[in-house]
Amino acid sequence: MKKAILILLVLCLLPLPLIAGAEQVLNVYNWGEYIDKQVITNFEKEYGVRVNYSVYDSNETMYTKLMSGASYDVIIPSDYMIERLIKEGLLQPIDKSVVTNLDCLCDGVLNMEYDPDNTYSVPYLWQTVGIVYDTTRISPEEMEEQGFSAFLNSDYKGHVYMYDSERDAFMIALKALGYSANTSDMDELNAAYEWLRNMDKAVRPSYVTDEVIDAMANGEKWMALVYSGDAAYILSENEDMGYCTPKEGTNVAVDAMVIPANASNPALANLFINYILEYDNSLMISTEVGYASSNARVLAELSGEGGDYEGNDAYLPRSGYALDEIYHDIPEELRSRYSSMWIKVKLHE
Amino acid sequence: MEKKKSSPWSFLSNGYLILVLLFIYLPIAYVVVFSFNEGKSMTKFSGFSLRWYENMFSDRTMLDSIKYTVLVAVIATLVSTVMGTIAAIGLSKARPLVRTAIIETNNLPVMNPDIVTAIGMMLLFIVAGVRLSLTTLILSHITFCTPYVILTIMPKLRQLDDNVAEAALDLGANPWQALVKVILPQIYPAILSGALIAFSMSFDDFVISFFTAGVGINNISMYVYSMKRYNPSVNALSTLIVIVVTLILILVNVIPYIKDKKTLKEETRR
Repeated sequence: MKKAILILLVLCLLPLPLIAGAEQVLNVYNWGEYIDKQVITNFEKEYGVRVNYSVYDSNETMYTKLMSGASYDVIIPSDYMIERLIKEGLLQPIDKSVVTNLDCLCDGVLNMEYDPDNTYSVPYLWQTVGIVYDTTRISPEEMEEQGFSAFLNSDYKGHVYMYDSERDAFMIALKALGYSANTSDMDELNAAYEWLRNMDKAVRPSYVTDEVIDAMANGEKWMALVYSGDAAYILSENEDMGYCTPKEGTNVAVDAMVIPANASNPALANLFINYILEYDNSLMISTEVGYASSNARVLAELSGEGGDYEGNDAYLPRSGYALDEIYHDIPEELRSRYSSMWIKVKLHE
Repeated sequence: MEKKKSSPWSFLSNGYLILVLLFIYLPIAYVVVFSFNEGKSMTKFSGFSLRWYENMFSDRTMLDSIKYTVLVAVIATLVSTVMGTIAAIGLSKARPLVRTAIIETNNLPVMNPDIVTAIGMMLLFIVAGVRLSLTTLILSHITFCTPYVILTIMPKLRQLDDNVAEAALDLGANPWQALVKVILPQIYPAILSGALIAFSMSFDDFVISFFTAGVGINNISMYVYSMKRYNPSVNALSTLIVIVVTLILILVNVIPYIKDKKTLKEETRR
């Protein structure tokens, strides 16, 4: 028994060496499965530091964790969340004397509305929302012609996947009706709600989340709403599949690296951000993840001749299209409106 | 005559049993099979490969999450088992009113949804000015595991004959010896099952861990839940866990059996 207690005490002390350590530590907080781990290992070797890498599943989860007082050095949230973090004074400016690789960024992601001069954020990966469809069922011309209104075409009844995300669902309805995806006008939102109810009646979609990736790669339905980064994977698995960025305009989403105000090692954070932007590292990340790189040369390389995503329509997001929009942070009451209306749509009410 | 009557029923009940077993084990078998898939698909098997095992062992974040999970589970199990055992023995000797009151208090965290415990813990740490870390994670795991240990040991203690411990004292054992040599061996199976429950509770906890773990600490549940896209290495990891759990269960069941046989042999020799 005494021995057992002794062993217990020793075990309790075990975590100590894990916590301690003289080398510099960088705390990185990123989406799960959203990097090539080799890049981190290389960074550690090159700078003689240790990267403490943790992951989250949504912007909201990350926000909660940040609110609990946790101190991270680099976080990679999406556009609308960055807008909120800036508004609440939770970020610190990027040190542009250290982050010198900004000029390699492609035009599609620079100076976005949420951070006009890239004072606080450096784009990481980006994508659009679009439609993956089976080209043996629906011809590309037909698809391009219809755009988002394909979701109202009752010829496709029972052969449609709808991504179960209220913001994206309302975005396609608003875009199809010619409104802004960031509207707070109740008449426009009600019109979008009617549009979605018609969609539900017309095509009886299956409401899914990430299982859509595997299902479309196996060609289980004719069309699905997906993110371009996931579409790139589907297209590379199944050559019958095509990708359409609808003509009515769509959502462009950017995930960007930021440094929280309470970061404990901002100097190293700036070095890390600059390191990620380097051509080789951006190339590794984008190749592994399948989302479009923020690095212009990497984009050209991967989508160009001989690149991993050559001929893959989904890899390279459309940019500079006037009707495309990024999401803005929307107020709480509007968010709950979205959710209650979306539930009604799914319940066929 | 009797046999004829029971046969259609036994067919039904066997069928039911097989159905239940299939329902429990088919998903596990599915996970194991797809851990050997060559492709990334979760529904199409494209060929045998060990690619995802390789991938798992080269993924440091994943390995770290395994390390943290095991470390936390082992410490939480040890501490909560010792604490729970001591508490249960003490309670069994307490006045009935005190005992009832404390057992009800003990039941509350068990019935309480995890999310309440999780947020409460997090707020407590924040208010107390304790920075979230591995230590806070371990502390919260010990906290939510201990009530389960007490709950499993209490019924066994109630079955004990108080006279046995008293007899030991009468025969010259000191209280410590009476505890270690008389009471503990009698409730040993309950302690073991309490420890196993604590271990499995801690091993697959997500909610409480998520809110109380410090920067850079993920356990397996947190890691899997956070994946932006599915990665079959999770299957490989699950397969390894299934193998380890099966081995432990076999050991737990086989070792006492072998011991029994040995003592039986020795006794017959005498």
